[in-house]
Amino acid sequence: MNSIRRNPSLAAGGTLVALLAAIAIFGPLLVRANPDAIDLPHALAGPGARHWLGCDSLGRDMLARIVWGARLSLGVATAVAAISLSIGTLIGGGAALAGGRVDNLVMRAIDVVLAFPGFLLAIALAAILGPGLADLVVALTAMGWTGYARLVRGEILSLREREYVEAARALGARPSRLLIRHLLPGIAGPVAVQATFGVGGIIIAEAALSFLGLGARPPAPTWGNMLEAGQAFILVAPHLTTAPGVAIGLSVLGFNLLGDGLAQLIGRRR
Amino acid sequence: MIRYLARRLLALVPVALGVVTLTFALIHLVPGDPVSAMLGDYAAPADVAQMRHALGLDRPIGQQYIGFLYGLAHGDLGQSISQHEPVARLISERFPATLELTAAGLLAALLIAFPLGLIAGANPGGAGDLGAMGFAILGISVPHLYLGPLLMIVFSLDLGWLPLTGRGGLAHLVLPAITLGTALAAIVARMLRQSLVQVVGADYMRTARSKGLSRRAALIRHGLRNALTPVITLIGLEAGALLTGSIITEMIFSWPGLGRLLITAINNRDYPLVEGCVLTFALSYVIVNLVTDFLYRAADPRIRLE
Amino acid sequence: METVAGGGRQAARRRACARAALAAWCAITCGACVKPAPATPSGYLQVDINTSPAALDPRIAADAISERVAELIYDSLVRIGRDGNFYGDLAASIERPSPVEIIFHLRHGVRFSDGRPLTARDVKYTYDSVLDPAIQSIKRAGLVELATLRAADDYTIVMTTRRPYAPALAMAMLGVVPANTPAPGAGAAIAPAGSGPFALADFRRDETVTLARNVFNAYPAGGVPGIVFKIVPNATVRALELAEGICDFTENDGVQPELIPYLAAKPDLTIVKSPGTTYQYLIFNFRDARLRDPRVRQAIAYAIDREAIVASLLRGNARVATGMLAPEDWAYDGAVTRYPYDPDRARALLEAAGYDARARPLRLVYKTTPEGSRLAQAIQAMLRRVGVAVDIHINEFATFYSDLRNGNFDLAASQWVGVGDPHQYYAIFDSRMTPAHGGNNRGDYANPRMDQLAEQGDATLDPAARRAIYGAVQQLAADDLPYVSLWWIDNVAAYNRRLAGFAPYPNGSLLSLATAAYHAPRGPRRSAQ
Repeated sequence: MNSIRRNPSLAAGGTLVALLAAIAIFGPLLVRANPDAIDLPHALAGPGARHWLGCDSLGRDMLARIVWGARLSLGVATAVAAISLSIGTLIGGGAALAGGRVDNLVMRAIDVVLAFPGFLLAIALAAILGPGLADLVVALTAMGWTGYARLVRGEILSLREREYVEAARALGARPSRLLIRHLLPGIAGPVAVQATFGVGGIIIAEAALSFLGLGARPPAPTWGNMLEAGQAFILVAPHLTTAPGVAIGLSVLGFNLLGDGLAQLIGRRR
Repeated sequence: MIRYLARRLLALVPVALGVVTLTFALIHLVPGDPVSAMLGDYAAPADVAQMRHALGLDRPIGQQYIGFLYGLAHGDLGQSISQHEPVARLISERFPATLELTAAGLLAALLIAFPLGLIAGANPGGAGDLGAMGFAILGISVPHLYLGPLLMIVFSLDLGWLPLTGRGGLAHLVLPAITLGTALAAIVARMLRQSLVQVVGADYMRTARSKGLSRRAALIRHGLRNALTPVITLIGLEAGALLTGSIITEMIFSWPGLGRLLITAINNRDYPLVEGCVLTFALSYVIVNLVTDFLYRAADPRIRLE
Repeated sequence: METVAGGGRQAARRRACARAALAAWCAITCGACVKPAPATPSGYLQVDINTSPAALDPRIAADAISERVAELIYDSLVRIGRDGNFYGDLAASIERPSPVEIIFHLRHGVRFSDGRPLTARDVKYTYDSVLDPAIQSIKRAGLVELATLRAADDYTIVMTTRRPYAPALAMAMLGVVPANTPAPGAGAAIAPAGSGPFALADFRRDETVTLARNVFNAYPAGGVPGIVFKIVPNATVRALELAEGICDFTENDGVQPELIPYLAAKPDLTIVKSPGTTYQYLIFNFRDARLRDPRVRQAIAYAIDREAIVASLLRGNARVATGMLAPEDWAYDGAVTRYPYDPDRARALLEAAGYDARARPLRLVYKTTPEGSRLAQAIQAMLRRVGVAVDIHINEFATFYSDLRNGNFDLAASQWVGVGDPHQYYAIFDSRMTPAHGGNNRGDYANPRMDQLAEQGDATLDPAARRAIYGAVQQLAADDLPYVSLWWIDNVAAYNRRLAGFAPYPNGSLLSLATAAYHAPRGPRRSAQ
């Protein structure tokens, strides 16, 4: 109780994220309706006893699609965050440790990626790989790794100057040992915080890409796809956008609160 | 200072080169070509071949790339294939609209963020903090494409205060700017709050208070100054998101900017126009970062312009 | 700054530099604000459209919206009527003295919007210009059968074709520009003068296209003084603008079926639905061995519940099609094999054909539009019910088009817009007319009997004989099933009740706006606040 009072963000965010994860993992086992089964006579049906969240433009059960969508959207977002984080850590850490010309080159490459409009990359990948989940993950990762690379590089550069690391180096610790024992634990906190915020950002990015027609391949019920498909009906059947909109909002809220809480936690420990 | 500027400007060259090379590779890798998009369903093979030749598309790809770089080096962005006009002219027609939108989005973000951040930071843990930060976190959580139509329905249709779409006077700018700026506003507000919370306990605050400065004045004076550098850095970092967001905002609000030009260009496989638009976006991003870097260094005297 | 040690001079310099950077930023941003807002002249009709016209010069304008707008600026020798037949426009009368010769007698007193009289010289110049390879006109391909075109005198044009060519009048539909108009491109006018009811007043790509009356072309009292086409990509926003009276008129691609109930509930709006000629179909790729089996194609035709899709997804704004030609067309023949929804029959046919339900899914390509995605998913779900697995590939237009032309599909959904004369059958079903040969036989369909009929249809001038030939073509197409005919999309126009005199064309033409008028004077626009 005391800890909740001290760090309400962590408690609220954690609960929300845990709830979402539970929905993503167990939800599909609980809803009976098939998320892809069309039922044209029930197209655009409003929420009711049989379909709690109503039906979409093809008469598919919105609840089933939201629940299956949780699995896809949250799955994609966490996968992208995890892959971006790994790639970013490797590249950023490598650049910081190598220093000099390599570091310079990596930083320029990051500048190029950051300056490049991400959706063009997504269009190109969609056309080359064919639209789908794989393409989505690749495109979002290609845009996402730079943040981690910059962060890790910065953290390592500043950690290296810290006294205890200096001391370890002076005592002749091998670079790999230095990395594992001293540097990685030091960067784990900030990276975890950024990744948590990142998941929220990716969920929104997925919706934006869907809006440009670059999301997962239909009929895959990602929240972004659903939000995009519901746009056309916003005046006649707003429940088509409300449900995925709220789902996206709650997830981003959950991950942001969790990120806040984590940041606070780390800040206190330091 | 001059030397630093020169070096930074020089560093733009490899970035620009990287961006145009990446664009060139991607747009040529994607299936579809400008000639069939232009000549359409019934084009005779001879006409297609002739046009490909006229556009230089029958040359080896390496040669096309070198030709493109040569033109670029001479300041020539080429001729749009689908719109029969020089790329530079098309871009200069549209860029102001995008600049106007992003600048307004940035301004809206700051106008929303500062009061929220101040309210929250002045009294951490209080009701104001909770409300302001709750609002900020909602701001990050709402996607553009949901917020845009929502604002339109409320402020334009129901209340009739603002025009629905299009580009015109200041009134036309309000809704798109808010749509674009809300996410950034939320991030800036949180950053601001954090900076304020940090200074509250700092020594110089106590000094300032002891000199007779009121708590609020001291907070604003020192807190804001302390917050200035991270906020500037943040704007640089978020410039890319702002530019990407402008594309979606342009689509929603029928805003005649560069983003829609780029999308049309991609759909027509108008290679020179795609290159030109991407380069413009990239350079804007880099220049914003350069400017924020300068502001950052100016705001934080510990960092020297080398 | 007092907290950090440092010379005052240095700090001042830093401050100055910050100020300079800020000033530069402000200068850049404020420079952007000087462009004046596009003013909508009072009384002009506002028509919302979804995409920007790419080009308005009639020598190169080809996309649907460009043609719609260009038609209001330019006259051509003939126009296509509501029944799919050709009628004189600039031509007061037409003679066909021999199977390869057509004589057009031009109307006198026609003037371009710059006051110059329109003569045969201008017509001749327009055709020469389109045929000039340097202009790279998309319309040149449509003139392959044209042998010569000459001006016999100021008001007589003589056209000859390379062979007896029934659809020759389709070549007489080019909008006429004044002689010596420069080639389209950099520095040239977006839209040169025309002799049509309107002239271009202002063009802002992706924003507005403003047409004002051609003062040299008489117009009815009370007629709209001009038209502003406003480009509004978002369908919901178009509906809102219409509902709010900001926009006066929008049609077809401008009104999405799902929004019609919303618009119909607004007392200020009139919704006019009329039969359309836009034909949507599903094309089979005969390169896939499974699809070469007619039973598989038939099964797929039987498995798609087109009635249900029209009723729900298209909200009844289409008619289930029997073939490319709509019933309004003079050559329409409805006595063809039909494929009503019958999943059991589909399953039986698939079984007879030995279709392996676990084989590689068929690749269905569709272009990226919200309704395209919905239709693709509906078709996918229906085919899944009979045991045909389908992968949907929805791509933006250029990729979709490239897939279509390169045969990179098993099933593709597409449409023919503004179908008129049946000669189009030759380009889509003749075995030699593959995309590589300038045709549109994209599925590699080949039937010698079809080739013979399609070629005969082009070369037969007698309308009755021609009609019989195309009757046979329609029957053969329904039996062979190179396409599954889906539906003909209705024309839907939604407009403000103030407007009177709009009369729809099956091909969606907006020509009647030239004679439309206001019941009540156009009040101030809300957007002009």
